[in-house]
Amino acid sequence: MSVLQSPSEARTVAARVVGATKLYGRGDSAVRALDDVSFEFPAGAFTAIMGPSGSGKSTLLHCLAGLDTLTSGQVCIGDTDVAKLSDGELTLLRRNRLGFIFQTYNLVPTLTAQENIVLPLRLGGRNADPEWLAQVVAAVGLADRLGHRPAELSGGQQQRVAAARALVTRPEIVFADEPTGALDSRSSGELLRFLRHAVDEYGQTIVMVTHDPVAASYADRVLFLRDGRVVSQMTEPTADRILDAMKGLGE
Amino acid sequence: MFTLTLKGLRARKVRLFLTAISILLGVAFVSGTLVLTDTVKAAFDQLYAGLTQGTDVTVRATSAFSATSTLQAGKPLPASLVDTVRQVDGVAAAEGSLTGYALMLDKSGKPIQPGGAPTLGAGHTTDPELAGGFTLRSGRAPQAPGEVVVDAATARKYSYQPGDTINIIFESGGQRRFTVVGIAGFGKADNLAGATLATFEMTTAQQLLNMTGQYRQIDVRGKADVTPAELRSRIAHVLPAGLEAVTSAAVANEASKSIQSALSMFTKIFLGFAAVSLLVGSFIIWNTFSILVAQRGREHALLRAIGAGRRQILGSVLTEAVVVGLVASVLGLALGLGVAAGLRGLLGAVGMELPSTALQLHARTVLAAFAVGVLVTLVAALAPAWRATRIPPIAALREAAAPVRDAATWRLIIGGLLLACGVAGLTRAISADSQTAAAALGTLATFVGVLMLAPVAVRPLVRVLGAPISRSVTGGLGRLNAARSPRRTASTATALVIGLALVVAVTVVASSIKASVGDVLDRASRADLILKADSQFAAGVPAGVADKLRTLPEAGTVSEMRWGMAQIGAATTPVAALDPATVDQVANLGIASGSVGALGTDGILLSADVAKAKGLTVGSPLTVRFAQTGDHQLHVIGTFTDTTLIGTPYVVSLGTYDANFSDRLDIAVLVKAKPGVSTAHIKRLAATALAEYPNVAISDANDLKDTQRKSVDQLLGMVYVMLLLAVVIALLGVVNTLALSVLERTRELGLLRAVGMTRRQVRSAVRWEAVLIAAVGAVLGLILGLAFGAAFSRALASLGIVTVDVPIAQPLLCAVIAALAGVVAAIAPARRAAKVDILRAVVAE
Repeated sequence: MSVLQSPSEARTVAARVVGATKLYGRGDSAVRALDDVSFEFPAGAFTAIMGPSGSGKSTLLHCLAGLDTLTSGQVCIGDTDVAKLSDGELTLLRRNRLGFIFQTYNLVPTLTAQENIVLPLRLGGRNADPEWLAQVVAAVGLADRLGHRPAELSGGQQQRVAAARALVTRPEIVFADEPTGALDSRSSGELLRFLRHAVDEYGQTIVMVTHDPVAASYADRVLFLRDGRVVSQMTEPTADRILDAMKGLGE
Repeated sequence: MFTLTLKGLRARKVRLFLTAISILLGVAFVSGTLVLTDTVKAAFDQLYAGLTQGTDVTVRATSAFSATSTLQAGKPLPASLVDTVRQVDGVAAAEGSLTGYALMLDKSGKPIQPGGAPTLGAGHTTDPELAGGFTLRSGRAPQAPGEVVVDAATARKYSYQPGDTINIIFESGGQRRFTVVGIAGFGKADNLAGATLATFEMTTAQQLLNMTGQYRQIDVRGKADVTPAELRSRIAHVLPAGLEAVTSAAVANEASKSIQSALSMFTKIFLGFAAVSLLVGSFIIWNTFSILVAQRGREHALLRAIGAGRRQILGSVLTEAVVVGLVASVLGLALGLGVAAGLRGLLGAVGMELPSTALQLHARTVLAAFAVGVLVTLVAALAPAWRATRIPPIAALREAAAPVRDAATWRLIIGGLLLACGVAGLTRAISADSQTAAAALGTLATFVGVLMLAPVAVRPLVRVLGAPISRSVTGGLGRLNAARSPRRTASTATALVIGLALVVAVTVVASSIKASVGDVLDRASRADLILKADSQFAAGVPAGVADKLRTLPEAGTVSEMRWGMAQIGAATTPVAALDPATVDQVANLGIASGSVGALGTDGILLSADVAKAKGLTVGSPLTVRFAQTGDHQLHVIGTFTDTTLIGTPYVVSLGTYDANFSDRLDIAVLVKAKPGVSTAHIKRLAATALAEYPNVAISDANDLKDTQRKSVDQLLGMVYVMLLLAVVIALLGVVNTLALSVLERTRELGLLRAVGMTRRQVRSAVRWEAVLIAAVGAVLGLILGLAFGAAFSRALASLGIVTVDVPIAQPLLCAVIAALAGVVAAIAPARRAAKVDILRAVVAE
């Protein structure tokens, strides 16, 4: 099985965790960040992961994305068992099959917006499909800012550049870690509408960690974590329902 | 505040050490040179103290000034004077002694020529106390004309024992055969400061050394109730004019001083190299502290915000500099002892044997090491420290780092002006001969100008140099990063510019010298053969060589040339002596006015430049002071233009020389064959005729050119080794800058890794950045070095550089190697960059 394998058409599960457990520290002082989490992330859907601070939501995302390793359990991206990959294979997995949007510091300051967008392709020695690139750039509304460097872009624009970069390789999954955490509500809305658009129009799979009920309401499904365990799920969420659920979690 | 600084230092041990290295090597050079100088001086002092032991007063000819060569020690005095001295009240014993030129041969017939020390012959002093440290180790004293005592070092190295026969060459008369009857040492030492010594029975010595009925000096020991000073004044009373009595303490003091002045040349050269490495090192310190201060901007602002004063911030940064300087001084001093041992070995390898004694570490050396290490570091850190105090407290609250400032306008204006002046000076130096001042000032102005403009030049330079690699993603990132902080790149590259510019300039000058050697010889020499001593350390060729050549019917003209030191005006300078009758047939001096034939015994020929500078014309009187005979008024009989063959602007006749110097050694003998006799033939004949002079090298023009080119290459090799040190320090600077940059870009590197950059690609990007920084330094160094080298080659025309040869291949190779050395400099920082923990980098703090 190659990490370069293209996503299969018929696949319905984009990623899967089975019995995922993550311990920090050892012995009595060990902290159980993830405690036997099992979940399947459906392909072509927008999944939000929520939970109070320390619930393990970020840890789950990092382990899913191959940035961190589980203490026990299994993570699969498509049919690929992430735990079995070497550092080099993990790098290629991230480059070719995954997309990332972080909360801050998403862009290389020396590169222009355009260069940042095509960076994963360039790292693989590939050129962007011009039509697809134009489509993504138009969708994030940055066609006139492509020659600018990150320092010349607003926070919202920077995050949209990051989103465009995450999509340009047509990845199996885009992982977004609090992508709107540092944005005002207007910029947040623009970014989230774009992510929703990507799911609806291109069938993109997105997994997003957030603590913002409004952000989570853009998802198809919300996964609630507490103390490293999945406590509930919600489909067709709205901000109000999520807020209620969060209150139930004690936040 | 102080505790805080020290805690910070402890947390950055590796950085501290890396920074200290850049100045450490310079300190090691300084202390190594001082240790070596002190050691050599101590060894010679011990030796002379031993030699004058047992003698209270020495009688000798007065010297008008102290010449440096041992052989030109003093005019001989009549042997009868010994009796006069013996009759002085208070004299316990008095004996004449003499030394002169005697070159021993080894058992295979090769000359035993020590490096940098004379080959002496002496008469045996019978009074054991007056003989100083001279003591027979085995055998007996010489008693008959055919007997000799050999110094223990020569005996040991060339395995001579009592009973062996040994051949010895003197100033006249060729080789003579002797029987070794004894081996002598000098106190604990096996020889006299590296000199070889053959001791003969006194009357024999007088004959062999051309001093029949004469001595060089009289050694006197006083009775117990007379002080040396009192004895000296009593003896002085009975001495005729031209002679003096000197206490042994004064003699030892003189010897010590002359050793020091002989060593001062080496001290200056080595300290010069030390200065270069310190200059390069100071740029690295400056750069490192600039980066540290920039990175710690928020920390300093926070300290300001909670009440730290500007002076406290300044003190904190400078304390760190002092600690770096102290670390560098301690380690540098330790390394300096190693350097001293290494330099002694290096001098030994080129034939300069030094008497051995324990390495001398004086308080002055320790002080110098600490002063140099701490001061250079402090001065280099001063500007960054001052900048740290300018950070406003509010900076602690700002999210982003301060934006990169553009170069100040004044900096551009002054830098531009300096560069323009420098280029003008260099152009002037290159377009005309001997513009030394223009070359020196032009070099300085150009260098400082380039230094000031470098931050502006970095971006375009990196863009151009990096163009070929920008197609690859790692090359492109490397190119962007190299241009990211132009000041940082500029000051890192500057360190390399200094080292490389020097290497290239020296290469150009050396290449010009090599190209000139042939031209000089072709223009100035009309001789078929030029005979010289086969060792550069030998005092010359015995007069017997020229005499022997004159017996060859095929040798049309044999003309010898001698050299002696004289004082003209305030300067002690070499004076050449030629045979006025024959010199025109073997050499072309380029006579501008007058004629060599008119030299006679009171004439002097001057170079046209010197005559012009001194305002002298044909007929003008000129006072020349000779060491042995004092002041003489000579008359200028002509001027000449080509000093390159004889190497001095003053020429007298052999007659004048013989009247004022006592040795008979030729610096060169020039031979012109009779018409119809080929060079090869006369060379063969000369070789046969001079079989008994193995110490003479017989060269035709081509041989001589080869020899001179080889010696230039040898010298160049040594200079390269010294300058290489500066280049190595500069590359350490690249390591330091990259390491700090990598640290600064942890988040960016993590992001790159997260979106799919492999470790190999990370390493490659850092490597390209290093190569580009090094390439900026290499290109600037190459251009500057070529210009400086060409300017100095022209400026040094008077030293015989008639052809300026600017080689391209060798300097280009140096530059390419320097740029590629960036790859080596990048190894550690690249590895560190590749190990960045992605998770920690991408998770918001």
